[in-house]
Amino acid sequence: MNTLGRLLTDLGERSTYDAVSQCSRCGYCEQSCPTYKATGREDRSPRGRNQLVRLMLEGKLKDPSAAREALATCLLCGGCQSACYAHVPTADLVLEGRRRLSPRPPLAARWLTALVGTRPRVFAFLLHLAYAAKRAGFSRAAAPLLRFVGLSGLAEADAHAREAPKRFLFEELRGRAWSASPAWAYFAPCGPNYVYPRVGLATVKALEKRRGPGKFLDNGCCGLLAYNYGDPAEAREMARRAVAQAEKGGDVPIVADCSSCAAFLKSYPQLFLAEPDWRRRAERFAARVRDAAEVFDAAGARVAGPVTCQNSCRARHGQNLPAPKALLESAGEFRPMAEADDCCGGAGAFSLLHPELSEDILKRKVANIKATGAKTVVTSSTSCLLQLDAGLSKYYPGCTVLHVSEAAALDGDRQ
Amino acid sequence: MTASALKDLVADGSFLDSEADLAVYSYDAALDRGRPDAVVLAASAQEAQRVVAWCARQKVPFVARGAGTNLSGGCIPLRGGVVLALARLNRILEIDEKNGVAVVEPGVVNLDLQRALEPRGFFYAPDPASFKVSTLGGNAAENAGGPRCLKYGVTTNHVLALEAVLPDGSLRRFSLADDGPEVLSLLVGAEGTLGVVTKLWLKILPLPREIRTILAGFPSIESAVECVSAVIAAGIVPRVLEAMDRVTVESVEAYAHAGYPTTEAVLLIEVDGDDAGREAAQVEDLCRRFEAAEVRSADDPARREKLWEGRRGAYAAMARLAPNVMVEDGVVPRDRLPEIVARIREICARHKLTAGLLFHAGDGNIHPNVGYDERNPEETARVKAAGRDILQACVDLGGSLSGEHGIGIDKREAMAWLFTAQTLDLFRRIKKALDPDDLANPDKLFPIEAKGPALIRRKPRPLTKGQEHLIELSKTETANCCGMQIVGSGSRLRREPGGLAALAVTACREIIDLDEKNLTVTVEAGLGVREFIMALGEKGLHVKLPDCAGTLGGLYATKAWSRLRDDLLGMRVLLPGGEVVDLGGKVVKNVAGYDVPRLLIGSWGAFGAILDLTLKVYRRPQDVSGPVAARPLSPTDVSRRLKKAFDPDNRLNPWLFA
Repeated sequence: MNTLGRLLTDLGERSTYDAVSQCSRCGYCEQSCPTYKATGREDRSPRGRNQLVRLMLEGKLKDPSAAREALATCLLCGGCQSACYAHVPTADLVLEGRRRLSPRPPLAARWLTALVGTRPRVFAFLLHLAYAAKRAGFSRAAAPLLRFVGLSGLAEADAHAREAPKRFLFEELRGRAWSASPAWAYFAPCGPNYVYPRVGLATVKALEKRRGPGKFLDNGCCGLLAYNYGDPAEAREMARRAVAQAEKGGDVPIVADCSSCAAFLKSYPQLFLAEPDWRRRAERFAARVRDAAEVFDAAGARVAGPVTCQNSCRARHGQNLPAPKALLESAGEFRPMAEADDCCGGAGAFSLLHPELSEDILKRKVANIKATGAKTVVTSSTSCLLQLDAGLSKYYPGCTVLHVSEAAALDGDRQ
Repeated sequence: MTASALKDLVADGSFLDSEADLAVYSYDAALDRGRPDAVVLAASAQEAQRVVAWCARQKVPFVARGAGTNLSGGCIPLRGGVVLALARLNRILEIDEKNGVAVVEPGVVNLDLQRALEPRGFFYAPDPASFKVSTLGGNAAENAGGPRCLKYGVTTNHVLALEAVLPDGSLRRFSLADDGPEVLSLLVGAEGTLGVVTKLWLKILPLPREIRTILAGFPSIESAVECVSAVIAAGIVPRVLEAMDRVTVESVEAYAHAGYPTTEAVLLIEVDGDDAGREAAQVEDLCRRFEAAEVRSADDPARREKLWEGRRGAYAAMARLAPNVMVEDGVVPRDRLPEIVARIREICARHKLTAGLLFHAGDGNIHPNVGYDERNPEETARVKAAGRDILQACVDLGGSLSGEHGIGIDKREAMAWLFTAQTLDLFRRIKKALDPDDLANPDKLFPIEAKGPALIRRKPRPLTKGQEHLIELSKTETANCCGMQIVGSGSRLRREPGGLAALAVTACREIIDLDEKNLTVTVEAGLGVREFIMALGEKGLHVKLPDCAGTLGGLYATKAWSRLRDDLLGMRVLLPGGEVVDLGGKVVKNVAGYDVPRLLIGSWGAFGAILDLTLKVYRRPQDVSGPVAARPLSPTDVSRRLKKAFDPDNRLNPWLFA
């Protein structure tokens, strides 16, 4: 079985069954759930999902696969966990449910996680090819074919990614001269690494300006991809590598600039509940991790025109971080938006796997952005950047999305 | 049932019947489960109507559902059938600031309406604890309350009109402006047993300019309750009057660190309006006079919110201590609060449980919170037994079974403690009149056979001499198969020709009970309105009734003033066969059973003779402006059906429904 079996909840370490039984069905989570708000369906709500996982564990679903759609459509944003008094970890519970339904993850997921996790060079090579094709306009032409052969996810991914960088972030950073006594260590999440190198460069630049010299960890994938879509055992191995690697360079703060990645790094101890030594190492590691959204939450940013903030779910709900208000208020005219804590519908592969539901959620998000009249939206996760970039260009073209690091790095550039 | 036929009636995506769907529509926030045969996620009011009409034809039971936050099992489809989910009907259709009305669909979340109103300078008063998620349709079905209802009233005080699908599948609109019996009031709080609400016209109010919040810690429950009584006796009607006991405060402090005083009782009091500053000072003085160790107050939003922190975190703290929390919901007359607290503690000790007490102290509504794990059957049984004992104690102290959570499944048994067999029969006849096949949320609300030991039954209030006489007369005339006419002072209803026997209520003119502590009065219907107002005036008390000719009974029966319903707490009614039913009582908050007292407003005596009324009284004069004129009764098919429930042989004021 590839499940975790035990979770680290807000109330302490619990078995999955005890954790899910903490849901008393009060329903106070319902309005924190973007998929419930979009559909009005109980099985698309946190309470519904918790109950289905519970019924699965109790063996009370005649056909457990009946729960598949309900669990598959969870964004894993964790909004419900923030709303819940007992902070029932619905996202983790949904993953446990999914793992029970598919003891062997789908082939595509296994390939992808294996590539990113253990064969990063092969992955980088393939992605370079894909980007070259994209720049040449091949991929758009290939979209109908991809859809026809059942790879609509790839076509969606292609449509979503509007940038095709020529050089990956690690290729940019490897050659640099890093400090021998660094004040920080930069952990490059896959998003900035492969999709938005500009974000990683901005993070490094802003860190150097604010914190002095640091170093690049030249890390692999944090394991989130495997945790969410593949085998948690693989995620655990990637976590071991990340922890061991980070231990070599002292105990400076580890900064990651994708909130999904940072939240997962902070949750490493949950992967090692059965291994006390590793749990302690993971705890020490997790205590060092900082999200760019918290590091840069200080005055000193500059963007054009009124600015609003989409609090990335994994910053807000995954790490309980507040909106980076100090940064935003110094950046320009800060206009808070309604439902800023709600997921935008990007959510990793969600926008590719559930394009219609994702689009409904995105439209609502863009409407909220538009209502503020902001010209810039600041956010802190790769998924949000991709999703909002696509949504804004479609429904509110006057507005652009920036990573929090980019906003921080812009300070001083444009006086 | 042939679900596929229903599927063809509704839009794509509205019909759900997978195993997962049926599983997640089988619960609400209470403990029971019941699996439906199908779920329809209505896409429009018309679709909801089509579903109910289909159910009526096929004789399939149905249960309407909003957010499913019901704490008494009201949304659970006990008999299977169709769950009609209204969550997608969530549009705010209109906000009419000039007339103070919001028109909404039933699936609009309470908070979403508040958010839409706030920028316009308005608010909607009912604020149940679930307001962030619960729907306005559900709030109306349950007649939801909340902290603010002490001053502003519960949901029924804010529903101006409803569009509803009756169990026969017909779509109707009921309004307070309608002539004749107030059917609207019957639907509010009926827990979906009489139809499905598809649209609501709600009263909205301008936001108060100033709000002040006071937090005070008291050395005992008694001193806190005495302080509450003193505040109200001083003529102050706080917008909030919340109390917590030490157990609750300590569990909140462990979790939220709100900095509350850990005394035996804590009161959170809020006053609003132009007089808030002066009233707040007065409240603070009273708190100190009743030995409050610590009194804090705030008037700016941030500091007010800080004082609220502990109260808001109270349920949260409980919810973290155990997987399940029983939130009991009983009501007692305000001055009996210390007694009920002592009894609850004794009951919990007996069942080896710990309860944290939270109460809406101003209206005697108490919520003991008991944590447990439903997976432990022995513990669950103890919790249920304690809940049952607590309700018995509430009934015993002259209170009611539910202030705001409803009867649903959980309190069905208890209905028989509170109401007489005659009253329950009347409820059943009302249900049957509108839902002859028992399809709308069946098996709810009505008592089931008692499981436990001997019941505590409410001892009926004694009859007065005049009432005894009228009952005798009515029995005799019924035995003689005579028609009867209710005769008051003759100011509104003239004597009809045709040899009807006279039921002269004018002989019943006593003030039966004037409770100056609870500020309620029970008065016989034959007393003149003017005399009544004068009699109260001599004691420095006031009622919200216009100074006019005629009897109190006549005023109510003819709906001669538009705000009669506001302060009506209870009613004793003589039915044509000589049966007496007592409804409501001295508690200001009560959602047990159908709201028959308000239904009878405008019924012109055709449903029953009002023998006495229980009303709120005040220390300060009330606004009693507005025209006074009897409103005619023209029967509708719905009021005809209800008439049959009350008076099957048309004996009372028979010409009205001839």
